[in-house]
Amino acid sequence: MKEPFIHIKNLRTYFHTEDGTVPAVDDVSLSINKGEILAIVGESGSGKSVTSLSLMRLIDPPGRIESGEILFEGHNLVDYSMKKMRAIRGNKIAMIFQEPLTSLNPVFTVGNQISESIIEHQHKSKKEAKQLTIEMLTKVGIPRPDRVFHSYPHALSGGMRQRVMIAMALSCNPELLIADEPTTALDVTIQAQILHLMKELIIEFETSILLITHDLGVVAEMADRVIVMYGGQIVEETDVFTLFKHPKHPYTKGLLSSTPKVHELKEELVPIPGSVPNPIDYPIGCRFADRCALVMETCRTVHPELIEVKPGHLVRCWLHERKGEGT
Amino acid sequence: MMHYIVRRMLQIIPVLLIISFIVFTLVFIAGDPVALMLPEDAALEEIEQLRESLGLNEPFYIQYGNYVFRMIQGDFGESFRYGQDALSVVLERLPATFELAIAAIVIAIMIAIPFGIWSATKQNSSIDLIATGAAVVGKAMPNFWLGIMLILLFSVTLGVLPVSGRGSIAHLILPAITLGTGIAAEMTRLIRSSMLEILNQDYIRTAKSKGIKSVHVIYKHAFRNALIPFVTITALQTSTLIGGALITETVFAWPGIGQLLIQAVNTRDMAIVQACVMIIAAIVILMNLLADIIYRILDPRIKLN
Repeated sequence: MKEPFIHIKNLRTYFHTEDGTVPAVDDVSLSINKGEILAIVGESGSGKSVTSLSLMRLIDPPGRIESGEILFEGHNLVDYSMKKMRAIRGNKIAMIFQEPLTSLNPVFTVGNQISESIIEHQHKSKKEAKQLTIEMLTKVGIPRPDRVFHSYPHALSGGMRQRVMIAMALSCNPELLIADEPTTALDVTIQAQILHLMKELIIEFETSILLITHDLGVVAEMADRVIVMYGGQIVEETDVFTLFKHPKHPYTKGLLSSTPKVHELKEELVPIPGSVPNPIDYPIGCRFADRCALVMETCRTVHPELIEVKPGHLVRCWLHERKGEGT
Repeated sequence: MMHYIVRRMLQIIPVLLIISFIVFTLVFIAGDPVALMLPEDAALEEIEQLRESLGLNEPFYIQYGNYVFRMIQGDFGESFRYGQDALSVVLERLPATFELAIAAIVIAIMIAIPFGIWSATKQNSSIDLIATGAAVVGKAMPNFWLGIMLILLFSVTLGVLPVSGRGSIAHLILPAITLGTGIAAEMTRLIRSSMLEILNQDYIRTAKSKGIKSVHVIYKHAFRNALIPFVTITALQTSTLIGGALITETVFAWPGIGQLLIQAVNTRDMAIVQACVMIIAAIVILMNLLADIIYRILDPRIKLN
């Protein structure tokens, strides 16, 4: 049985803008088990990226973690000083981002940027760090790693750059890798290679992954467990098979039917009508109510809670709350 | 790299030719130099003789051709005021101008880098407000006014620094501060705005996510990128200072090219004016080339070709 090593409890991260307060992450609780790939799915603005940045304590003003706990190895990261956080970042929790070109510093060589973490966290000499960097570049499948060591990011292809990012993130053997849309900016063929590489490496490095994505194809390919976010909140949480076979939340169902499937080419794609509500002024009831085909009176007036409908399957929806009460 | 530099050096020649043509034409239009060279009561034959001997009766294009031909040999004509070769008069003044320009740039950099970075990293803090406020004031103060105020305070009232002239380090302080203030203001604003832009880049977030010290994030990852526009502007500023410290050099009687040029224009010493403008033009062009080369060294994305 995989056991959780990260618990996020009732996390609230708000952005205080001139127009008002944006509850980007609004009472989110989740846990990540050792060796597991947990995916967070949602549209832009659903709070998935802010959740992952909060976990790293990388929220810049006007954003702020308002309340909640991030428990990692028994310690609450929310209380950590920046100095203590630095020992976690890149060392125990590492991150890769969507756009590898802009995520790498254009004026430093690939080797310099990877060995930097190794020197910082593992206290190696420059020479040892170079050795380790070249080993890492080899592991992520980069040909002629000693040449790439001296290359600048702009000289590499998109796939190579993302491999470099992965090498950099895994260089200190972290316990958790946060991958924020790791394949969104890549060609489809390269996407498959990168996903395959990540899967291989986490077995070798015994790393867990928090995968942030809006791509259900990537989720099906990678994830063990899935959290669906909408309007800064978790609306459904379950294992990957249940999510695709028996989705409960109307939003999850909408996401699935708006995604093309290879085996059902003739089936028409059904978009979810409307758009995400203004986060400064969320409705008092369910945040999805205005776009939901099954909306009821209660949905508009009372905010639904996240309810466990089956062991390990959580849903935030009045439809299921009623059923849950009945059985 | 060498190929690029050689090609750029060759491109300087046509630019200098065009400038020489403009300068020559302006001087030609400005009037008859003979009128200034001879006393007012000079005989007509005497005037005619001098015009003939100076080649001033030739058509414009012949005169220009002769001028360019002599210029290539380093002969800009003789200054009637100094009674010497114009080029050597100008070259004598160059060290003073360089000295002042470099001192001003060094002062400006020493102020601009820390304040620019501080105000960017602590945006909207009191340090930021003071630095940006000071930058606006520094930029708004005209050099002649600031120079006179500094003389009044430090030379006249406190009597700690010399009023004018060149000689010791003490002589350099006031003109260098006068000239450096405006540049420091402009540089501070430049560093602040480029740092603010860079600190929002994805690669800064990556650097933070690696857990490296914030000093390294700011000075290595961010500032190294901010250096690219900064160095370019600094090289261009230096070239403007060499040609353009006219007011400061005049206020402090600093014996540089700027002062020489103003005096030469006032006395219509055209040989000096032409030599000054050509030398300044050459320096500006070379500094531009230098800026381009440094720019390409600092930014690996740009290839030299």
